[in-house]
Order: sequence, then structure tokens, then C-alpha cells
Amino acid sequence: MLAPAVLTTTAIVFFPVAQTVLLSLRDAVLYRPQDMPFVGLANYKRALDDEIFWISVGNSLVWVVLAVGLQFLLGFATALLLNRSFSWRAAARALVVVPWALPSVIIGLMWTWMYDFNLGVFNDTLVRVGILDKPVAWLASPDAALYAIVLALTWQGFPFFAVVILAGLQAIPAELYEAAAIDGANGWQRLRYVTIPSLAGVMATALLLRTIWVANSLDVILVMTGGGPGLATHTLPLYAFLRAYSGMEFGYGAALAVLLTLALLALVVLYVARAAREAAR
Amino acid sequence: MQRRQFLVGAAGAAAALPFAGRARAQAPVTIRWWYHFDNPQHSPAELVTRFERENPGIKVQAESVPWGGGNDYATRLYAAIIAGSPPDCAMVKLNNQARLLEMKALEPLDRQVAGWFGRTDIPDNIWAINKATDGRQYYLPLQYVVLYLYYRADLFQRANVAPPKTFDEFLRAAQATTRDDVWGFGMRGGAGGHDHWASFVLGGGATFDKGGMVSEKALAANRWFVDLARVHKVFPPSAPNDGFRQIIDNFKSGRAAMTIHHIGSANEMVDALGDKVSAVPVPRAADGKGWTSFGDESNAVFAASRNKEAAFKWIAFLSAGANNVDFNKFTGQLTVTKSGASGWSLHPKRFVDATFDSLPIAAVLPDHPKTADFTRTVWPQNMQRALLGQIGADEMMRAIERHFHG
Repeated sequence: MLAPAVLTTTAIVFFPVAQTVLLSLRDAVLYRPQDMPFVGLANYKRALDDEIFWISVGNSLVWVVLAVGLQFLLGFATALLLNRSFSWRAAARALVVVPWALPSVIIGLMWTWMYDFNLGVFNDTLVRVGILDKPVAWLASPDAALYAIVLALTWQGFPFFAVVILAGLQAIPAELYEAAAIDGANGWQRLRYVTIPSLAGVMATALLLRTIWVANSLDVILVMTGGGPGLATHTLPLYAFLRAYSGMEFGYGAALAVLLTLALLALVVLYVARAAREAAR
Repeated sequence: MQRRQFLVGAAGAAAALPFAGRARAQAPVTIRWWYHFDNPQHSPAELVTRFERENPGIKVQAESVPWGGGNDYATRLYAAIIAGSPPDCAMVKLNNQARLLEMKALEPLDRQVAGWFGRTDIPDNIWAINKATDGRQYYLPLQYVVLYLYYRADLFQRANVAPPKTFDEFLRAAQATTRDDVWGFGMRGGAGGHDHWASFVLGGGATFDKGGMVSEKALAANRWFVDLARVHKVFPPSAPNDGFRQIIDNFKSGRAAMTIHHIGSANEMVDALGDKVSAVPVPRAADGKGWTSFGDESNAVFAASRNKEAAFKWIAFLSAGANNVDFNKFTGQLTVTKSGASGWSLHPKRFVDATFDSLPIAAVLPDHPKTADFTRTVWPQNMQRALLGQIGADEMMRAIERHFHG
């Protein structure tokens, strides 16, 4: 009975993964298709000796922690607001999904122009209200570029948390809040002892999933800075992409991708274990 | 109109001559052709219809492929070749020729070109520049541009400086026009900006030969260029990340007094600025040498094609006389034909003149498998770090030398 599902999963998941692992063991350069010698772990050794690999790992950590953290906080706050009663709640719930629905390339282009040194709305506003003396080249500054892109991705990703957490909020029985109120709990205590524990499962699953997605994502960075200025916004998936599709070094690019996958595997195991527990209940 | 119809007719008839016997025996064939236009609203349908009317045995399936700065297009092409399903012919650029040759993907066109009537209508220097390193002709020229220096005539007049002819004059003009929120030169530090750097550093004596990036002359030229940003501050602070759209918009809005681009943006510039914009060839070094980028675009027939003769007929049709002029209406670039250039009216004359005057120093980057990665990754990464002071100008040149020569 399970055979079709197993076969399909093998074909569309395990076969490409196995192929990527095999490719990472070869000196595979796309414009030399007749000459792809087996090199064992040489691509992995090269990565560990590669300065740009380690810079990309460091940037990836900052990128994931900040982007997912900010998305979660903003999404959580938005969900709490949207769970209250107000006249245009239905419209607000629909509108909040808009950033999530936009293609990443559009978001990258839109925020690039908002950050633009000469014509961008951020610089224009901040200079007009006197917060800045002169415009800042946000995306050309190695100290600001990564954080500027994190902000753009936060805007794109917070609706995911808002929608998921809102669904979780609506599933919390009203009796729990009534009991807490009878016990004299104030707003903060209701949040701390009723809402958050009730949402723990939902939030953990959403955080795990989003961490995996953000760690893998490169499209917004690619559009906004291409990894620059210099190496300031190089993350591991972007570096793997550039080695594969700019250098045509598919062997090395595959090795970088496998290393990223191994790093994410711990999270995947956590997610699968959690999903299995949920299913067992 | 009559002249055009005559040229079209002549082109079709003459292109068909070498294959006339074959054509009679051939069953109808469909050839796949990959193209890209900057403006997706444009379509080659009219040219396809005209060709199919003149060549009833051949259908052209024109497939628009996203350009993505060149890299997306090239990657799709490589992938199609490796998968065994490339188009019969496609638009291609010289910086990919070495890779395509290494893949044994290209069909030599020497025999067909030798018998093609349009050969003499394309200038010899354009044929020469498109020849492969093995001496054979795989590319049939389609259009070209040459990078020149745009300058804001109004800002130059205000600063009382003349358009620069030498590097020293360029620096003086850039300094004179730089003030508060205006910068002398809108430099493109993002991907695609290597042409700006190359005009001054290759023009100043650097070469892609072994040791050519780390010679004294090359290092001095690069130091001078980096100093334009670090010492003289004539580039806007956003330069390390600026791309095509930023340099054009900065120039149009009066934030930059000069920038480097080609005739493809001339009409947009004139629409916005009228007589306030003009162009001259990029400046030259003190020894009179210079370098500017020849922006090529050709068509090639692929070795895997089963309809090579039909594919050549189609690409020859596109490179012939009036057809080539019509093609360039879609792309905004210049015709490769002498007959088409003689009556050129698609751009204001001063930009056509600046293009022609730049031809003596126009060249292309080396026909090397690593050139594409140089322009996409190695150059921007190291240029940006040098502009920001993260590495020195000499270190940047050593990185480029290592990329090409280990």
C-alpha cells in the first residue's frame, strides 16, 4: 500500500539529494561536461579552507537569527492585535498577508529603491525630519547592508507568523481566559500563563519551518546586493548559488549546498520528531 | 521604402542561393531560435513572418528567454546543451564563446559566411572582433554598441570645464563638477560595472595576459582609479552597489555629471534631458592609449542542430541590410551593416558620432572560460572591497590575476 508513496518520495526527494552528494564528489564544471573527474572529499576540504565560506557561515547565522527573530516578534504582536475585536478586522487580516503574497524579486526591487541613496524614500524622509544630516548609502555600506536586507525580509515574512499564530490563538478555549480572570490574572499574566503555553506547539513548528526557509533563501539578497558590497551580504546558499551559476563550478557549489543541508539537518530532525509527536496525539 | 524592399528581397534571394538545391529537396523544417530583448513588449514576429514568407520550407519558433543580466540566459543555454536539447540557433555574446567552444556546442560558419552575400556589408573589424581564438567564425554579428562617456553639458558649463579627452582632464572635470549633492562620475560598482573600471585600468595599461594585472603600469592605473573614490571622492557613496538603473537615474536627476554607458540609453537620456546631455569617447591615458568596451551580440548555430542550413538562413536574414535595421529598432542598438548605418535615424547624431569615434579603442574582454565569472563575481566583489577600503587597490589586482592565471 505504501509503495507508491515511497517510490514517489524516493524519486522526487532522495534521488536529487543523492545526485547532489555525488556531484559534490566530482570536479564538475558545467562548461566541461566531458571532463568531471572524481575528487572524493576535495570540494569539502576546499570549502573548509575557503575564507569566503566562513564569512558566509557567519553572515548566515546573523541573517537567520535576526530575520526569523524579528519576523516572529512582529508576527506574534500582529496576531495578538488581529485577535482583538475591531470594526475593520476582516480587512486588516486580509491586508496583512499582502507582503507574504508578493514575489521575493518584487520585494527585493521595491526595498532596493526605498533604500536608494539619491532617490529613496527612507533617506528622503529621514533627512526631511532631521534624523539624518545627509543620505546614507544603506546597501553600499558593509556595516548596514545585511541589516537593511534583514528588515526587508522581516517585512516579507512576518505575515506567516501572524497567520499561523492567529490560527493558534483562535483555538485556545475561552474558558481558560475566564478561569484566569477569576483567579485575578492581569493581561500580562494571561499572556504569560495561558496564551504562550497554549501556543507553544504552534510557535515551535512555525519557528522551525521558517528557520529552514530563511536559512535556504537567497532571492532577496541576490536582487538587493548580489552578496555585496564586497562580501558583506554573502550567505551560504548565496555563495553556493554563485559558485554554481556564476563560476559554473557545480561540484563545489554542490559541496557547499550539502554542508548547508547538514547544518539544517538538526532542525529538520527536530521538526520531523515534533510532527511525529503531533500525529501520535 | 522601395530601397528597403529591394534590400530585403536581395537579402532573402542571396541568402537562399547557396542552399537553393538543398531547399528544393528538403521537407519543411522548424527551427528553434532563442532571443532576448530588454523590452519584453517587443516581438520579432514581424521579422519571422517576413522570413517565413520568403522561405516557405522553414518555420521559425522564436523563444524569448529571460536575460537576467546575461547569466540567467547563459545558464539556461548551457543546461539545454548538456541536456541535449539546445535550440538550433540563439543570440550569443563573445564572453560566452570560449565556454561554448569548450562544450563543443558551436557549429563553425566559415563555409556559409564565405558564400553569403551580406558578408561584405559587415565591416571587417566587426568580423575580426567576433572571430574565435582558433581562427574560425562561429558567431554571425547581429548588433553592437560601444561604451562612451555621457556628460551633462549644463553641469559642465556651470563648472566651466570641457568634456575630457585624457585621464587627467577627466579627474579635473570630475572634481570641478563635484559639489554638495552632485558627484563628478556616476560609477557602477555593482555587477556589469567592470566596463567603467576597464576604460581606465585597461586603458591605463593593464592586460589579461599572464602578469598583466600586476605590472607596475597596471597597478598604478588601478590605484589612480580607486583614488577617484577614496581620495578625490568624485563617486557617489552608493557607487559600490549601484547598477545600471542607478547610474542612469543619478545622471538624469543631476546627481552625477558624467557616467559611462552606450547608445542603448541615448533616447531615454534625450527624452529626459534634451540638449543638456551629450557624449564623447571615454578618455585616454597620457600615452594616447585607451580602452572601451565593445558590446557585441551575435547569433550562433549549434552543433547539435539537425537543421543547420535552415538555421543559418534565419540568422543570415537577421544580419542582412534592412532586416538588421528593423531588428535594432527592438533592441535600441546599432546595426552591424554598412548599408544600414548610412541612413541611421534611430538615435540623435551626437551619440552615433561618439560611438563611431570610440571604435578605434573598442575591444572585448578575453575569450576565456573564466571571463563570465570575472564580470559577475570576481570583479564586483574585489572592486567593492577596494572602493570601501577593505582591501588595497593592489590586492584587488592580485585577486584578478589569480582568477585568470592561478
